[in-house]
Amino acid sequence: MINVDNIYKQFGKLQVLKGVSCKIEKGEKVVVIGPSGSGKSTFLRCMNLLEEPTFGEVWLDDKLMTRPDPYLHVELIEKTKTYKKMFDARAGESSDAEALKSQIIKEIKEKDLLNEKREGGEYKKAYKEFYKANAIDINKGRAKMGMVFQHFNLFNNLTVMQNLTLAPVKLKLKTEEEAAADAERLLKRIGLFDKKDVYPSTLSGGQKQRIAIVRALAMDPEVMLFDEPTSALDPEMVGEVLELMKDLAKEGMTMVVVTHEMGFAREVASRILFMDEGVIKEENTPKEFFAAPKDERLKDFLAKVL
Amino acid sequence: MLLDGLKNTAIIAVFGLFIGLIIGSLIAVVKLAPIENLFFKALKFLGDIYVALFRGTPIVVQLLLTHYVLFPLMGINIPPVFEGVITFGMNSGAYISEIMRSGILSVDKGQMEAGRSLGLSYVQTMWKIVLPQAIKNILPTLGNEFIALIKETSVVSFITVIDIYKAFQSIANNTFEYIVPYLMLALVYLILVIIITLIVRAIERRLRASDKR
Repeated sequence: MINVDNIYKQFGKLQVLKGVSCKIEKGEKVVVIGPSGSGKSTFLRCMNLLEEPTFGEVWLDDKLMTRPDPYLHVELIEKTKTYKKMFDARAGESSDAEALKSQIIKEIKEKDLLNEKREGGEYKKAYKEFYKANAIDINKGRAKMGMVFQHFNLFNNLTVMQNLTLAPVKLKLKTEEEAAADAERLLKRIGLFDKKDVYPSTLSGGQKQRIAIVRALAMDPEVMLFDEPTSALDPEMVGEVLELMKDLAKEGMTMVVVTHEMGFAREVASRILFMDEGVIKEENTPKEFFAAPKDERLKDFLAKVL
Repeated sequence: MLLDGLKNTAIIAVFGLFIGLIIGSLIAVVKLAPIENLFFKALKFLGDIYVALFRGTPIVVQLLLTHYVLFPLMGINIPPVFEGVITFGMNSGAYISEIMRSGILSVDKGQMEAGRSLGLSYVQTMWKIVLPQAIKNILPTLGNEFIALIKETSVVSFITVIDIYKAFQSIANNTFEYIVPYLMLALVYLILVIIITLIVRAIERRLRASDKR
């Protein structure tokens, strides 16, 4: 469903993600844990392009969300002048054209030899065609991915009800009546129907976060992304939010959750990723992950948090 | 004549503010747009020049240039009141753009992110979520701008518009009685400003509804 392919993210000089790849299948519950500053939030935010990866691609349902990354496509590299020059210069070296080809492509990738401006018309045309054939409108892509933030980010100028109905109606996914009916159903589900006409500032943190979750659900998303959804909550409110998330998981919602809640990871995750220093250091089922961690940094991390 | 003067002052201030709000919002939104292409860079540069020009020259000079140079050159012939409206609108647009910019920046960036994450476009989120909150935050400053604007309109007499200042001045000149007309003039401005202050407060109270705890 989501395919994150070798993404890098730089903020100025700071390299936050250094080549992260991850495939998320329908129905999976992927939990991402790691020390702060490990890039796990950035990784999540790259999935719906709130941050644009510097390199690499993000695919949603076989549609490209980012710009194409030529390094990931041999057929694009083959169209570049850089490749052709190298191939011509070394054609005599070996009789095995296929081996030479893969050798050159490897070199181009490793030494970052491509320079968009100098690659010529044929490459540009191929690039554009590839982009056209695969790209999805980024807003359409995002509409399929619900996102829940650490600081809730409910729309402060709208009532709870309006928070839930604004996007589905604006994007013409639902009529106003349908959206209102769905919103009522969702609010009843979390027991906050009586709050439908109040503004977010009157709500507690736990209520805000649960409403933020159903606001995302109101879009009928294919996948839900959670960015430390309980980190800004009072301890006594963490439970109600986690309960709702567990319910969603049981219903088969595809979820990617960045969290520090180890109990939740153990109970709900179908797969856990451990991120550190901008890469995925370890990836495993919860059982293996907690019982037999292999990475040294992970052992250290688990010793501290458990 | 007094009523005409009052009408002209009001027309210039109200429509000037209205035009100023539109121009100011547009410049602010363009300046803050997260788009880095050449077209937007040019737009941002134009915005900078616009603000520099209108903040860098006195409003009287702008009025005189509009009335005696620009519009005659362009062959535009409209009543001087509308020249006043346009000039004051463009002038306050420059100031409001900066006020608006700070207002937009004062809105938590999570609001924009939440809107974008739901699939709303930048413009949709800006219009429905960020700008309403920005305007709420800058309302007191906008009130100030409106008050400054209504007082500044007294210079439109330079381009032959009869506003309340001009009306009272001609009464004074005709009757050789200066004390009462000018005191009255001050009183009229004061009353206008008090009315505006009350209106701004009422709007503020309504917009603050979403802050009630």
